[in-house]
Amino acid sequence: MKIELTFQINGRNRSIDVATNRTLAELLRDDLNLPGCRIACDGEVCGSCTVIVDGQPAAACSTFAFEVDGAQIETIEGLSPDGSLHPIQQAFLETNAFQCGFCTAGLVMSVKALLTLHPQPDDQTMMDWLKSNVCRCTGYQTILAATRLAAKRMASSE
Amino acid sequence: MTVNERGRSGGFPERIDGRQKVRGAVRFTTDFSLPGMAHAKVLRSPHPHARIRTIDASRALQMPGVLAVVTGADISAMPDPFYGVGIRDQPVLAIDKARYVGDMVAAVVAEDELTAFQALELIDVDYDRLPALMTIAAALSKDAPALFDEPSAGVPLIVGAGAQSLKEPARNVLYEFRYSRGDLDAAMGRAEHVFTDTFYFSRIHHYHLEPYVNVARADSENIEIWSCNQDPFILRNDLSRMFGYPLHNVRIHTAMIGGGFGAKSYCKMEPLVVFLAKRVKRPVRLCLTMDEAFHTLSKHAAVLTLKTGVTADGRLIARESDIKLDGGAYSDASVSTTIKTGYRIPGPYRWDAISTVASSVRTNTIPGGSFRGFGGTQANFASESQMDMIARRLGLDPLELRRKNMLAAGEAYAPGDSAFDSDFESGLSRAAEMIGYGAAPRRKGRGIGVSVGLKDGGGTGNQALAEIKVSDAGEIMVRAAAVEIGQGVGTVLGAIAADILDRPMSVVKYAEIDTDHTPLDTGTHVSFATAVSGRAVEAAAIDVKNQILDFAAERLGCDAGELLLDDWTIRRGNQSFPLQKMLREYFGPVGTEFIGRGRMKIPYDAAAPLGSKNLFWMPCWSAAEVDVDEETGKVTVLKLVVGTDAGRALNLPACHGQLEGAALQALGQSLFEELAYDGTAPANADPMNYRVPLVTDVPLKFESFIEEQGMGPGPGGAKGIGEAGMLGIAAAIANAVEDAVGVRVLQLPITPERVLTALRAKEAGSAGAPKI
Repeated sequence: MKIELTFQINGRNRSIDVATNRTLAELLRDDLNLPGCRIACDGEVCGSCTVIVDGQPAAACSTFAFEVDGAQIETIEGLSPDGSLHPIQQAFLETNAFQCGFCTAGLVMSVKALLTLHPQPDDQTMMDWLKSNVCRCTGYQTILAATRLAAKRMASSE
Repeated sequence: MTVNERGRSGGFPERIDGRQKVRGAVRFTTDFSLPGMAHAKVLRSPHPHARIRTIDASRALQMPGVLAVVTGADISAMPDPFYGVGIRDQPVLAIDKARYVGDMVAAVVAEDELTAFQALELIDVDYDRLPALMTIAAALSKDAPALFDEPSAGVPLIVGAGAQSLKEPARNVLYEFRYSRGDLDAAMGRAEHVFTDTFYFSRIHHYHLEPYVNVARADSENIEIWSCNQDPFILRNDLSRMFGYPLHNVRIHTAMIGGGFGAKSYCKMEPLVVFLAKRVKRPVRLCLTMDEAFHTLSKHAAVLTLKTGVTADGRLIARESDIKLDGGAYSDASVSTTIKTGYRIPGPYRWDAISTVASSVRTNTIPGGSFRGFGGTQANFASESQMDMIARRLGLDPLELRRKNMLAAGEAYAPGDSAFDSDFESGLSRAAEMIGYGAAPRRKGRGIGVSVGLKDGGGTGNQALAEIKVSDAGEIMVRAAAVEIGQGVGTVLGAIAADILDRPMSVVKYAEIDTDHTPLDTGTHVSFATAVSGRAVEAAAIDVKNQILDFAAERLGCDAGELLLDDWTIRRGNQSFPLQKMLREYFGPVGTEFIGRGRMKIPYDAAAPLGSKNLFWMPCWSAAEVDVDEETGKVTVLKLVVGTDAGRALNLPACHGQLEGAALQALGQSLFEELAYDGTAPANADPMNYRVPLVTDVPLKFESFIEEQGMGPGPGGAKGIGEAGMLGIAAAIANAVEDAVGVRVLQLPITPERVLTALRAKEAGSAGAPKI
């Protein structure tokens, strides 16, 4: 069974017929060609598939597509549409806050949601948010450094 | 500015894959598809050990959208249906018997993944359950049934002086490695104290985020596969042998890999995907879930008994070790892991005599295989824990005991093997200083521990070839089979080439791996790429540079020795000749390419214990400060220090990243992470129940340091460091716990329960720490 969904994806309105059992991750990756949303644990544990739905981070692997009807969705592809880097991406690049890169898009989106709601997060707030994302490569120190750097730069540019 | 000068100024080149990665724009194998592609799913055994009487797939085959169901009966018609490293005992799908919960029994191919998944439910397997051997002890017990009825194919790896390599020496023993040097009995006789301790090392899973994923197409002549496997040329050999196709009719494509930590080394489910594609005459994709990955490979659990003789003043005399690894149901990389665990058990110390027996035991559990550190973590946990225990028993300082016995740079690790190429003592002293070793008395419940991890790096007899294509505009394309798996290999190899050709990193590309075009190597293992592939790339770049200078010399009618290549300009005294202009004038407007080649081979050497002198030595200087809550048994790591010697750091931030990432993996295994069995099935083989370190587990103080001692075999004295950070951490934490509360935990992970049990045993006055 398919239903028609209407939503905003990275600032553009879209309507699409989607099966009721389709997940948001499948919708993004397979129907909308936005593969930056990565499926790893497929169980809302690791955060690799994190996208932003109406300002809140969401695990796309465990969200049904029909749940985003009428919502505004942001994916990593929306952060740098012209290939230039968002300040969060620039901070990840400069602090070496990635290795294999599989978790990176999800982490960048978690940080984006965090800094939107808490532009100057204290360490505890940062930890509370970023513990939703597993990175098996880096040991997290550079990810914390990237988050602090991005927060600082985004605050000074406002 | 050379790479080294860049390093000194602190401005290391941006990683060449960095922009793609932070934009989420990397194409992993998970993103790959082919037109007309079908999807596969695998039926797995619910029993730990069972004979497969019949498999009835008729209901599944009737389901709309199902294209094929394949079982062990189909697989057994392959020219060779078995794989494994050295010893080949793992069938593509279970033939006759299933040997662990999760063993692959049948596969479905369907139009889509959901249909394939649903069809699994419709396959009826009639199992005849057999006794399950869930532990090493059970598998070795007198009345244990044999897990394999016949000897397995393959040969154990060849070793050298003082070592023996024994395939299937006893029932349910896959493999045994023996090594001895010196007169053990005489040496033990000289020892004033002999201490025997047994350590229990836990099983963990890699938890790589990118799933195991393969897309294959195959017909009666050719095989082509897009794989997340990190060993394209090993995989090519396996597929060629198993399907009976010439090597050049097998083509492997390797994209960037989303994490592996050992899990993606060597052949696994790739032959199955090829078999399925050949059967349905369409491209087939198999992407495992993370639950399935848990059931595919794990790090070897182990029991290690060390009998160590010392003098009263703390000189190490002799060590006799008995090591048993839980190899699980199938060989995978158990042979080489066993060799490496056994060989590393002496640690970085001088001994009069060593005698080691290490074996891999077959059980009805998930196969054990490669995991970052590859036996080194098992050996180091036991060896470095016992060093502290010995020091405390003799009333000596643990740090001093290590210093007193430590091999110096230039001393051979073992007769016939290479000399140490790091100053282990200075790095240890640095780690000790950073943790505040020997500083003011500490609060109750606080403790400090140090340890020195050791691993041979670069691999036994490994080789790498490399090719560099340089355009007339000076753009560099590096081609090598070292796989980008997160370590930043393209950037490092690119920096080596750019340095020699005096080009900026912005013109460097690392070519995607394709066995039809990429020069061969022996697999991205053993922290190998910087030193081994790096030397091949260095040679290839020098080859190109010489070709350029020869060309220019001929054009200018002079000797190449008079010329310099500088910023893509030929200099002859005060004269400058822009190189691209010279090239275009001769070759025409399409331009040209220079192609340079290099090869690095670690020679075999029968006089070396492992059959090849070790290429370089990898230290892991580790120190931990812990707080132990005596009410709850909870251990909190307040500060963690980890250091290694990169020889020469070609990308310093990447070195710190490797070291810290590995150290946090080790911290997880030390304190809480474990793939546990509950009876005959894994208790937590899924991401919901398996706990890996999160950002909240990072110690409040977490410091890494990279020495550049310049003695490595790679370009400019470089070494590999990819596994280093994993090696010494568990022992450092265990040692810190004993320093804090006076109890020794001999088993990983060091959970609150184990600490409490040890504390209660101590209060009850029982001698020594019990096995908990």
